[in-house]
Amino acid sequence: MSGTLYGFKMLLRKTGTATAVLSIALLVAIIASTNAIANYIASQTQTLSKLVNPTGTYLILNKNATALTNSRINPELATQLNNTNQLSHVHPQKLLTTNLTTHTGNATAIVRGVNNIRAYLNLRNAIINGTAAENLTEANIGIVLANALSIKTGDEIELTLDTAHIKVKITGIFRSQTQSDAEIIIPIETANKLAGNDNTVSLIEFTIKEDANTQEALNQITQLLPENTKLIQTQQLIEFTQQTNMQTLTFLNVWSIAVYAVVAAASYITATRLTAESNYELTMLRALGTKKTQLFTLVLTYTATTALIGSLLGVALGTAGTQTASTILRWIKPTIDIKPYLEPEQTLQTLLLTLSSSIIGCTYPAFKSTREKYMEQPL
Amino acid sequence: MKLTGFRYLKKQRILTLTLILTASSMLFSLTAFSLQGFYRGFTAYLGEGEDIIAIYNPKTRTHFTSLVPAYLAEKISMLKGVLASSPEALIPCTVNGEALFLRGIIPKEFTKLTPLKILEGNMLELADVNSIILGKNAAQKLSLNTNDKVLVLGVLSDRYLELQVKGIFTSNSAMDDEVLAPLYVGQWLRRADYGQVTLIRVKIDRSQISPSDIMEMIAKEASEPTPPTQGEETSPPEETIIPQIIVRFKIEDVGVEEARKFMKNYLDRYGLTREALLVLSTAVFLFSSISIAAAAKTVITQHKGEIAVLRSVGASKKLLKRDILTKLLPWSLIASTIGITLAAVAFKIIQENSYLQVLSHTIPFQLDPLVIALNIILSITLVSISVLRERLE
Repeated sequence: MSGTLYGFKMLLRKTGTATAVLSIALLVAIIASTNAIANYIASQTQTLSKLVNPTGTYLILNKNATALTNSRINPELATQLNNTNQLSHVHPQKLLTTNLTTHTGNATAIVRGVNNIRAYLNLRNAIINGTAAENLTEANIGIVLANALSIKTGDEIELTLDTAHIKVKITGIFRSQTQSDAEIIIPIETANKLAGNDNTVSLIEFTIKEDANTQEALNQITQLLPENTKLIQTQQLIEFTQQTNMQTLTFLNVWSIAVYAVVAAASYITATRLTAESNYELTMLRALGTKKTQLFTLVLTYTATTALIGSLLGVALGTAGTQTASTILRWIKPTIDIKPYLEPEQTLQTLLLTLSSSIIGCTYPAFKSTREKYMEQPL
Repeated sequence: MKLTGFRYLKKQRILTLTLILTASSMLFSLTAFSLQGFYRGFTAYLGEGEDIIAIYNPKTRTHFTSLVPAYLAEKISMLKGVLASSPEALIPCTVNGEALFLRGIIPKEFTKLTPLKILEGNMLELADVNSIILGKNAAQKLSLNTNDKVLVLGVLSDRYLELQVKGIFTSNSAMDDEVLAPLYVGQWLRRADYGQVTLIRVKIDRSQISPSDIMEMIAKEASEPTPPTQGEETSPPEETIIPQIIVRFKIEDVGVEEARKFMKNYLDRYGLTREALLVLSTAVFLFSSISIAAAAKTVITQHKGEIAVLRSVGASKKLLKRDILTKLLPWSLIASTIGITLAAVAFKIIQENSYLQVLSHTIPFQLDPLVIALNIILSITLVSISVLRERLE
């Protein structure tokens, strides 16, 4: 054991050790620097995404629904939500895909049933040409759908869903700059009649009050939700930025496999060079009684040690290098302020992966060194 | 004295050098292909060719937060030499929980600029009020087919939409990763007025009109807006689906530029030029140069016996170095070629598994001759320097 330790010290002092450490360090520096910059970009996009209005719009839908029009939930939930006093608007709505018959022909359209059409149009900041529908035989239509089907105020249209038929009169055409511009808005009772009086709604749309604590309100609401429902925020800035960041990170992780392949190759070189240049030392160790397994361990340990030192140096070089480069960039262009950084778990991951790659790379030369007959030099 | 007939270099020992050269070439090529692919994909995003012009707002930081008057598309289309004028509303969104880009278009004009091939279902029309068509990559990512319904949620606005898949297309461009919808759908998600779009793409006949002619027309429109014509149908019936709104604007809020140049300038603003990306890839290769030098040194060390014999029969150091170099360079070339091939294969595999995306768009693959040449030159140069610097005893 002590012989192996002396052998290890002896090999570590050879001139090739510095080169071996540096070759690994430079490769690890590439990974460290790209991770540091990627971390900065990810944190910036996360910060930007948190600027989204937290008191935005939320939807409650059926958990298993694949679309708004086939979602079904209990309308009683809307009453419970109103009772929380945390919400400024609560609108249960029923969405149906119906067949529409007009004087020009047939078409398919989405029909949205709401409790109070005027309140709904106000919620959408809609401008109406005509009047809001007030009874069960009236409806309002969005401007895009009206233009597409040449429907005017005063026209009568027929809505058909399965075997149910209902005729309604268009009392007003509205413009809201939302999908409702391509829908027909009717009282929810009319929608229920079309759907066969199943006493359900498709979704509940609500907004949290501005002065309310958003997280507290959401926690309260979540407790009210039955198991078959889900809560969705309509503005998905955070999720979008998380996914786009993940795309970059995924690519970097896959690309880093190529870097670790080079690390493995570099370790192969280190181990091969060690056995080629340390002929005399290894011969002496064998002559002094070192076993083949000890020799194998010696070469492996040497390569792993240089890889470990190299990876520590590489992480430091990579992080410091990018930070220095960003400081210089800031001097040249003050508007560009990049602050790259490395997470502790990323550092640990890099060290472990470098060590593993190095061990994989040096295993064959280490094994070959035990097979070498040092008394003979084949030509 | 000639050493070419002497086969003293053992193939197994040369493996050391070829291994590191293959790995380094693969790393360089993969990095360069990825960065060049990103650059090419981004600059070609709005269209390739000198005949595609983009009209945008130069004051915005990104091309999907830009807003320009939509009615300009119709005014521009009436100019002589304009072959197509496509107003578009480009907007990030989530579709069934997946981050994607949705492009609101007027299908008839859009397809004049970007031909689409329908693989499944039917082509989109402006009157398809609740329909979308998906690029084949987007359809694959979302596992969607024709007639499936999707929930689209806004990113820049709190909008939610239910839309139905009318078809799946391919365009051999970045659009294959996008969702195409009628223009007003993009405007809803962007929370823009019907009178505004993100940008207008125009196809021109350069022999009849230039981008400066278009800019001149826009400048005139900014100072004296043409009143809307009464009682005269200037647009086909299907295009009156969207309310026609004339928006007053300032000329400094509108820019006209060749589409490719516009995207290139956008990248240049952040220092991401083609040359900078190549230099970055080269730096990656050079970071593995110490390993290449060590490998060359190892090959020579392993052959010190053979070299000693040749020196003893009269071979000079210069002659030996030249001969070793002559024998190693073909191996370097082979190693580089294998490295490039492995990188190309790895790139394709990564691309097909959707691991290679930036902003939900697949990075295209292009075998760049410059990357191949640079790879070979760097490998040969590094090996040559390593061998020539070596001390032969």
